[in-house]
This record gives sequence, structure tokens and C-alpha cells, in this order.
Amino acid sequence: MKVAVYWGCVIPTVQYAYEMSVREVMPRLGVELVDLENASCCGSPVQSINMHAAVYLAARNIAIAEKMGFTDLLAVCNGCHLSLFEASHFLDQDKKLQEEINILLKDEELHYSGSIKIWHTIDFLHDVVGEATVKKAVTHPLNGLKLVVHYGCHILRPSSVGTVDNPENPQKLDRLIEWLGAKSIPYSEKLDCCGAMLMLSHPDAAFTFAGLKLKAVQDLGADALVDSCPSCQNMFDLRQKSAAATTGAKLNLPIVYYTQLLGLAMGIPQEKLGLNLNRSPVDELLQKVVAHS
Amino acid sequence: MSLSYNSMTATDLMTSKKPDSALRLRVLSKIGEQKPYNCYQCIRCTSGCPSMKMLELKPHQIVALTRAGFIDELINSGIVWTCATCLKCKERCPQAVAPVDLIIALRNLAVEKEVKVPESFLQSLSMILECGHISRPQPTITRKLEKIDREKLGLPKFREPDERFKAAFMKALEKTSSKESAP
Repeated sequence: MKVAVYWGCVIPTVQYAYEMSVREVMPRLGVELVDLENASCCGSPVQSINMHAAVYLAARNIAIAEKMGFTDLLAVCNGCHLSLFEASHFLDQDKKLQEEINILLKDEELHYSGSIKIWHTIDFLHDVVGEATVKKAVTHPLNGLKLVVHYGCHILRPSSVGTVDNPENPQKLDRLIEWLGAKSIPYSEKLDCCGAMLMLSHPDAAFTFAGLKLKAVQDLGADALVDSCPSCQNMFDLRQKSAAATTGAKLNLPIVYYTQLLGLAMGIPQEKLGLNLNRSPVDELLQKVVAHS
Repeated sequence: MSLSYNSMTATDLMTSKKPDSALRLRVLSKIGEQKPYNCYQCIRCTSGCPSMKMLELKPHQIVALTRAGFIDELINSGIVWTCATCLKCKERCPQAVAPVDLIIALRNLAVEKEVKVPESFLQSLSMILECGHISRPQPTITRKLEKIDREKLGLPKFREPDERFKAAFMKALEKTSSKESAP
């Protein structure tokens, strides 16, 4: 199938490994990705400043997918996914708002009609690609790996607009891990926030959010934490040292994107999955993967 | 890099002020329905709030103070910028109040009234106006300390939206402030 893909800001400007691994795995699973033309910010960073302008930005990107003739849009970043998903909910509920936004969109010959289904990496792989296709693509199963999953807040809540998975007991990413032959360990901090959104106003507190979660996961003896959001990855991987400084513990926890792990299980070379870009100590994990498969 | 707001809390500031019902209406108009009135202060939001542990954010207090009309006090205290937008309060409220939506509405009002807003939020906005995104592609390094960028990684060229975007986005920003300027 053919889907439009929307990368947002953080992935194509900082979190290259996520983009690389998504671009590698999807075509091999029968999914052709087409980048949105003329895309802009999703609106999430503008919500705190001007909610109306944020809804406009979200609608703009959805309208581009409509104009390009797509029915499905893959928003791989959690923040973008929520922004687009929530905006489409507002616009579908409130015809007056939809009219106002469409007047703004007209200047760029765009129109929001609400015909697009918005997906995130996790529900797209779980619900659309599905178990049979994923399992069939696994040539190097990750048997023996004990992993911990982090969903990220913005694909789980609020369930009032619909979400990627159950808001209090999500299981899709856990299942996706198990389809690769690895084990997902249950843990009580599963729903805890990474703190990324506080980096703009209270970075010390943000690092404490991340540090406390990472310490709890490391104490479980997990081989790695698996996520699928570039902002969470920024906190857990890129800034793990700063996060560690807030807890007084030494953190050495490998952090990987689910699509990087999936790529490994499909036999895709590490460098093509951006595994040389993770800042956390993933080398030991990669040795285990080679040994187990 | 902490915020340089004065150290008075929202409740400290209340003692010297009177409720402002016009401002209250303006905040409520931003969240659609007047849900704060459904709150019975069960404090489920605050008990699950990660920013309560770290920064003493009390979502139930934001709801109560908004209802009482202490809007200036809320936005001047800076407390609305301590929310991590984890959305647990919105998910778990038995009365569908969504304290986080109120917090976002209060942040919007702080911007309109030009009360001090954390600079990083405004920086993101000016980057979007400049290049359509909150940043341009940053060079990075591998774990072996090799400098690398999108091109070397084999990723397609990063594209910024064309010129018409800026004008349209400016319009979207202006429209709101004029529409919501009247209480």
C-alpha cells in the first residue's frame, strides 16, 4: 500500500536514526512511503502560544495529504500525531472552526475536508501491516532479549479523541516486540512521562523526569528501552548523561527505536538503521543481537 | 536556566486581588464548553500529576482559581509553565474537566497579555516563521565521533515550505488575537 509520511521537525533535523529506520523497514513490509510536499511544523510547539494557529498548522499538513490524493497519513512522531489527530477531531466536530481554517488554507490552494486517516508507527505496524507480515519479515529473531517499552504520552492520551492504544494499559508495542522474538518486561513506570515538553521552561525538572524513569528501567536489568518518539529519544538517549546527573546513579541504558530493532530482526545492516547515531551505549545490545540471532 | 518569575505563588497573589469575571470568560471561551464548573475537587488530577512531584503544580487548584476568576494571578505566578502536558489529568478526570486544556488556554492568554512567557516557546515560533519548522537540520556525530549530516546519511534533502506559507501563518496568528481580544 501507498501512504503519505509526515516527519515533523525533530526527526528530520535531529533524530535521523528514526527517519532512516522507518525508510528502511516500511518498503520491505510492502508499504510505499511518499513524503508530504511543502510540509511545515505540526502545530504542537505553537499550542501554548496560540491554539488557533496550532490547529491551522495541523490542518495545513493534513490538507496537503488530501491534495496529494492520499487516504492514509503516517505521522511517525508522537507530538505530531497528537497535534494532527486532535486538530482533525476539533475540525470534524466544529464546522465553524473548519470554515475559518479553510479560509486561511485557501491562500495556499489547500482545503481540509477530514477524509484522511492518521496513523502512528506503532498502530500502523500493529493494525495495518499486522502480525503475519511482520513475523514473516523477521529473518534474525531477537530471541532472549529482555526489553522495556516506552510508548510516550502523546500517542496514548487523551482517549476522548481516540488514541493509538489503551491509555492506561497499552499493549501494541509490547506485542510488536514479541513478534520479533524478544520479551517485553512489565514495569510500574511504563506510563511515566519523559519530561521533554518541560525542556522549554524547566529543563532541570525535565531531566529528573527522564532520569527517574531510566534508573527504574536499568534496575530491572532490561537489555534496552524501546521507544518510538523523537522527543522521548532526545531525553532518554541524546541527554541520558544529563538525566543521570539528576538521580545520582550511573546510567548505562541502551535506548533504541522500535523500527531500529525491527530492522535488525529483518537483517538490515546496522548503519542503514542509524544505529551508529544512538548516543546511549547500544554496542553491547548489538553484540547480544548478533549472538542471539 | 530557571524562570525568573517572582516567587509569589498564585494563592499568595490572590490575597491582594479581586476576581476578574471578564478574564474568566475569556479563558473559558478558549476551551469551548464551560467544563471547569463540573469539577468537584476530587484531586485525582493532582495525585497523578508528575509536575506536582517536581514543581508543585496542582491542576485542581488551577481549575478552582479559574472558576473563582483569579486569572491574572494564575498567569503572573508562572505556574502554568510547569505542566509537562503528559495529559494524564485530562484522561483521568471523572468529570471531563481537562485541567491541561485550561493550562494551555491560560498560556495563550499570558501571550496575548504579554505576561512573561518562557523564551524558548517564542524562539520556536520565530523559527517556524523563518523556515516552517522549529529548527533546520543539525549536523551530528556518530558514537565514533565522526561528523555526519543528512546528505552523508543518504537522507533526502530537507525542504522548507515555500514563501506563501509565511504569509498564511502570519494571518493565522493575527486572526486569533483579534477574534479573542474582546472579553
